[in-house]
Amino acid sequence: MRRKLGPLAVHLVLGAYTLLAIFPILLVLYNSFKSRKAIFGSPLALPGPESFSLIGYQKVFADSAVPLYYFNSISVTVTTIFITLLIGAMAAWALTEYRFRWNTLLGIYLAIGIMVPIRLGSVSILRLVADMNLVNTRTALILVYTAQSLPLAIFILSEFIAQIPKDLREAARCDGVSEYTIFFRIILPLIRPAMATVAVFTMIPIWNDLWFPLLLSPGGGKQTITLGIQQFIGQYVTDWNAVLAALSVAIIPVLILYALFSRQLIRGLTSGAVK
Amino acid sequence: MAEVKIDNLNKSFGSVEVLRDIDLTIADGSFVVLVGPSGCGKSTLLRTIAGLETVSGGEIRIGDKKVNDLAPAAREIAMVFQSYALYPHMDVYGNMAFGLKFAGTPKAEIDRRVGEAARILKLEALMKRRPRELSGGQRQRVAIGRAIVREPKVFLFDEPLSNLDAALRVNTRIEIAKLHKMLKATIVYVTHDQVEAMTLADKIVVMNKGRIEQAGKPLDLYYKPANMFVAGFIGSPAMNFIEGEIGEVTEKGYSVRLADATSVNFTGNGVRQGHKVTLGVRPEHLAVGGTGDLKLEGRIDIVERLGETGYAHVSTGSGKPIIAEVRGGETGEPGQAVTLTATLGHTHLFDEAGQRIG
Amino acid sequence: MAEGTAARGSDVIGTSRASHALMLLFFLGPAVAIYTLFSIYPLIATIVLSTFDEGQGGVRSFVGLDNFRTLLFDPLWSKPFWNALLNNCLFFLIHMLVQNPIGIALAALLSLPRLPFRTGYRTLIFMPTMLSVVIIGFIWQLILSPLWGISKGFLNFFGLGSLFAPWLGQEESALVTLSLISVWQFVGMPMILIYTALLAIPDDLTDAATVDGLNQIRTFFYVKLPLILPTIGLVSILTFVGNFNAFDLIYAVKGALAGPNFASDIMGTLFYRTFFGYQLQVGDPAMGSAVATLMFIIILIGVMIYLFVIQRRIQRYSF
Repeated sequence: MRRKLGPLAVHLVLGAYTLLAIFPILLVLYNSFKSRKAIFGSPLALPGPESFSLIGYQKVFADSAVPLYYFNSISVTVTTIFITLLIGAMAAWALTEYRFRWNTLLGIYLAIGIMVPIRLGSVSILRLVADMNLVNTRTALILVYTAQSLPLAIFILSEFIAQIPKDLREAARCDGVSEYTIFFRIILPLIRPAMATVAVFTMIPIWNDLWFPLLLSPGGGKQTITLGIQQFIGQYVTDWNAVLAALSVAIIPVLILYALFSRQLIRGLTSGAVK
Repeated sequence: MAEVKIDNLNKSFGSVEVLRDIDLTIADGSFVVLVGPSGCGKSTLLRTIAGLETVSGGEIRIGDKKVNDLAPAAREIAMVFQSYALYPHMDVYGNMAFGLKFAGTPKAEIDRRVGEAARILKLEALMKRRPRELSGGQRQRVAIGRAIVREPKVFLFDEPLSNLDAALRVNTRIEIAKLHKMLKATIVYVTHDQVEAMTLADKIVVMNKGRIEQAGKPLDLYYKPANMFVAGFIGSPAMNFIEGEIGEVTEKGYSVRLADATSVNFTGNGVRQGHKVTLGVRPEHLAVGGTGDLKLEGRIDIVERLGETGYAHVSTGSGKPIIAEVRGGETGEPGQAVTLTATLGHTHLFDEAGQRIG
Repeated sequence: MAEGTAARGSDVIGTSRASHALMLLFFLGPAVAIYTLFSIYPLIATIVLSTFDEGQGGVRSFVGLDNFRTLLFDPLWSKPFWNALLNNCLFFLIHMLVQNPIGIALAALLSLPRLPFRTGYRTLIFMPTMLSVVIIGFIWQLILSPLWGISKGFLNFFGLGSLFAPWLGQEESALVTLSLISVWQFVGMPMILIYTALLAIPDDLTDAATVDGLNQIRTFFYVKLPLILPTIGLVSILTFVGNFNAFDLIYAVKGALAGPNFASDIMGTLFYRTFFGYQLQVGDPAMGSAVATLMFIIILIGVMIYLFVIQRRIQRYSF
């Protein structure tokens, strides 16, 4: 009696859109395993025994340093997350816990970065990086991404730390424990859930970013996977096997990660936006 | 207004049965209260009457119409929710007029009905306010107003007083009772508070675990509870229960031997020697000292004084402390030895299954 | 940061001012330093740079607002600028008109009570958002490519084969096509945000609307939608900031020239080209900075409008 929209209609619409959402990705994935003839001849068909071919992948792995790019992406992302979480938590702790003259002002100062895109300062960033002799290094990327991720990380961690009962810290102080110990031994373990969330929504934009690798480390073997794939495809634009394989190489790890952690990933990304 | 008739209603959520074999008639214009502990199914029953839940079996009739497959609005019911469920983005007038607008009621008629409800509920000064600018009691009146303007056949109330503070609850209870008389409305009212049930209802329906334990007039349930559950649920503080056993059985009657070895003699039959029974007696029917068919010896543990009335917790030989009502002037000190007495008419006897005997 | 209790933070008794200051430095220093050096300083430096002219020999001279005048009015520069700005506005408009309503509709469907397979739908629809914009761009380039024929075949299935055209390659349709690709990728975001907001609406309210006689569609438009306006506002400003900062997709599919014939040029690509240079055009950091500054101002205006006008007007209802 409540059902004005029949359940069938609802599933039809949702199902149709879901298909629209995943079909292009699937198409690329399974065509990457087909021979060139099969790709053009029967694009919608799944790879069969005659059409199966790894030629695209062979080219990708031969002509481009995919493992290297992966390594770069991973090291940049992981290092950035680590540093961001550490110094972000430290800053969030100081802002929340200690009363000092410019506390509020500092908070607002750091919050500006949430809304203002860091890319706009790229001209100066590039110059800065060049002056510091850090062009084509992963370090440059790490520093820039850290700066980019800090505002939101600090904001979220601050809210979380504020919820930790005061009694815990007061008791520790009564025991004569130093502030540093309180932070590293008590607070840090307690904010692990928030750190996980921050890690997630920091990770995805960094991994997928094209702009800063393009600007700061376009060569010298320090490309990230996103940039590497873009360069590779730019080079092999007419070689469909190679292109499809390259795309799949970039997609598959993310999909695996997504399959394992989808709930946390979605929650992390959107909680970042809401804050 | 209309009569509501429920026949053999069953409801399950998946494999979980939440309502079992419900047979209930709610007379036209009567105030029926569904009462029971959390999870007993009273809210679910209300919602099935409303049409917010489907039924798995059985029939619901409102007036003479079978309404099983009708949407709530088509059943001509109105509901007042526990949380009031006022639309936050509309003012009081908007909240009350909302449903009518969508039903295509002409504006003049809407104005009339809303104005009338506002007058009855004393909401005239608040018409332009938003829900967040109202107190709890005011919001509740708006929720009632929204129900009144629908001019329904049946009013459904889902624990409307739970969110109010104690003093407001008493006042609002009286307002609702007055409203009932004024509108001559058929009301089905859900609460977990047996005081509300006793004071408001023409008929109380006590529910437990999806079944109706007993339905009847409040005082009937008070003086003649059909089983131990109802006996213990109605009345506050709860009835005292004492374990016992049937002793001698004669043609005229039988004796019940209580755990502390005292004996009480009953008339009647249908029992056998050795049967386990439970004797029930309400705190307000126990006197300290005096004479009576039931005599319990014991020692006072503690007396809770509420002013003129107090409750003495007395340890007897029969297990849990017995609670007896004591009036102001009477003494009652911890450690004091007392004899609690009650007349036979004020005792209740329940068999092993908890059902009333006699 | 942390609001609330009257005493903000605590004073640590028994430590000297010096060691207290040192401790604050320890905790706050690294974050503030990196943030300032790589975020704030470059932004300010860029704005400052935009008031200079770097000349051919790298000789700097202060020119005040000349760069902006050139950018806005000098035909050589202003044509690409206004073209990019208008394109960006169209880009944004398409997102607002297509991405957000679809996101809202999907969220409304997902939030229906007792929906089987709900998590599955949500996870799958959100998948494109996870992937890099670059990847998505290429995928669609392949699918829309006339060489592969998939799109034409798909349209043929509905008898619409004649409608097919190499949309990405045509001036009139390139930008719109790219916008729709971006929409396709990012629908998940508004969908999830609005879905979460819809979940926060108490069931009682929906029941009350049902008792009042509203069907599901009307309940959505007249009861739920007004209550999620704050979230829609949030989604809008996020879309705005994201769109006017966008670059990756256009660059990946069309390169820095944002062809065909600059038809898909938006502020991000204009910025890149101006400052970095591309093919025949020499990079001009000062002009690039001017473009960046203008982007910054545009975004700032949008954010200000959101914070002071929209947020004030739209009532946030708590339950």
